[in-house]
Amino acid sequence: MVVLALRGGGDPFDLLGSVLSRSDDPATVAAVRVLGADAFAPCTLRGKTPTDADVALVEGAVGAFPPKPGASSASAWSHWGMRAALHRVRTGAPGPDLGPEPDPETGWVASEPWQRMTHQLSQLAALAVPGLPSPLAAAVAKRPVDLARGFVRAVRRRDWLQAAGAGRWLAVTEGVPASLGLDGGLDLIHHMGAADARVALQVRAAQLAREGASG
Amino acid sequence: MTSRPSSSPTSPPPPGPLATSAPPISPQLLHRVGAGALEWLAANRTHFRARTDASTSALEIGERFKPIGELAVIGKVLFREGVAGSQQSAIIRKLLDYAWREVLDGGELLAWLQRREPLSPIPLELYVPFQELGYRNQEVEGRARLARGLTSWTALEMAPNRRLGLARVEIRAGLPPSIEVAEAARRTWLGRTPEPWTAVYHIAYDVTHTVFHLTDWGEHPEALPTDIADYLELWLPVWIEDWASVEHWDLLGELLVVDACLPRPTLDPAAWQLYAAAQQPDGAMPVQRTLPPGDPADTFDLAYHPTLVAAFASVMATSRAMTALTVPQP
Repeated sequence: MVVLALRGGGDPFDLLGSVLSRSDDPATVAAVRVLGADAFAPCTLRGKTPTDADVALVEGAVGAFPPKPGASSASAWSHWGMRAALHRVRTGAPGPDLGPEPDPETGWVASEPWQRMTHQLSQLAALAVPGLPSPLAAAVAKRPVDLARGFVRAVRRRDWLQAAGAGRWLAVTEGVPASLGLDGGLDLIHHMGAADARVALQVRAAQLAREGASG
Repeated sequence: MTSRPSSSPTSPPPPGPLATSAPPISPQLLHRVGAGALEWLAANRTHFRARTDASTSALEIGERFKPIGELAVIGKVLFREGVAGSQQSAIIRKLLDYAWREVLDGGELLAWLQRREPLSPIPLELYVPFQELGYRNQEVEGRARLARGLTSWTALEMAPNRRLGLARVEIRAGLPPSIEVAEAARRTWLGRTPEPWTAVYHIAYDVTHTVFHLTDWGEHPEALPTDIADYLELWLPVWIEDWASVEHWDLLGELLVVDACLPRPTLDPAAWQLYAAAQQPDGAMPVQRTLPPGDPADTFDLAYHPTLVAAFASVMATSRAMTALTVPQP
């Protein structure tokens, strides 16, 4: 449903309606946790309006599973991303206003070798959204070459999901070397890996960001 | 393509920041790989030799030119770099003497091939490293000049990186190049600086050979055009990790040579540790993973190339590591 909406179809965007579910159905709430901020990707990337029930669904997911103290950086950032997306669809404001809670830590982006950094970032690709300033995006902005190397590594290993996630971050990051050939790489990843809806989602999101940046 | 501004070959920039936080590689480890490889090559030198009795087919003789050529090219590098120590220098000199006198019969084997195939570039490619070290054969030189005068010689169809190599060989032999080096470089895969994620196995070898030819086998790292050096600085770390992870020591060795040819070599400690650990106790380097069991006579054809490359990578990296130790950091 999310991929369909990103491709320009599926109007109006209605996540719950598409699965004939209720916003308090535990299975649906858990599924939204997996999508993270991308539950609203059609809204944050294509300007679609969410239904009230979908907003309630994401609110429920955010409230039901707050990250525990000492949670991994990945789950803390995923939670942060959902709150930011929720804030954005409620208010239309580009940036997050997340109150007094401290932001999750970003030190690993600078300290991890490029291989592990890319792997972890690809799991947080839902936060790679144009016009969404975040401490995470600011940390990524300092390592565009290393992220590009991780993208090459993932494509060489045919790890399409990791490559798609890395490609999405590259699409919203300045300073990516031109010789990387990102657009051709995204096309290849889609061609080879889009049978996995998660790959299709990341590639389409990356391409929308690229189109927005060039036009 | 623009050439890198000529910096003195004796004072290249020091190695750049390492991709990982591992401590820098020790010159001793780099040196040990080369010393072991050289011992194995010297101990097994007779296997380079082509059988040339009356019953030997031309095809069989022809097949021996590849290892002999690689021995000549890399033997010249080892001799030139002179960082291997005086004991190693003596071993290299004896190995090259043996290759010239016994394997190539003082150049007669090259003249034999020229008579059979006047347009073959192989005799000149093999001859030039020996010529530069003072080994001469007038017949080989005369026939090479004759062939170079033909349009057919310059029109011969060959892979772009081979054509580039031949242009460098012609220049080194004192002959006019069949094609301008910059133009020949532009026609190679690497010269186009394509998408780095498309570099499969055979392309990776095209890349290494383009660098070998452009730098005269590491003798002139400053001859690497700036755009190519910049491109390699970006993507070589990925390829090194890629081929180290599948334990392809032959290709990894060539990529480590390329690294040592860059303005800011990384001398990647993790890759070098893996590479050194892959070497057999007798000094032989496997092509990939490990060598099949057997004595050197059985495994020579598998082992000689990766072992020559190991000696090559070792001297190049040792040379750069020593430079980094002696040149103060900016």
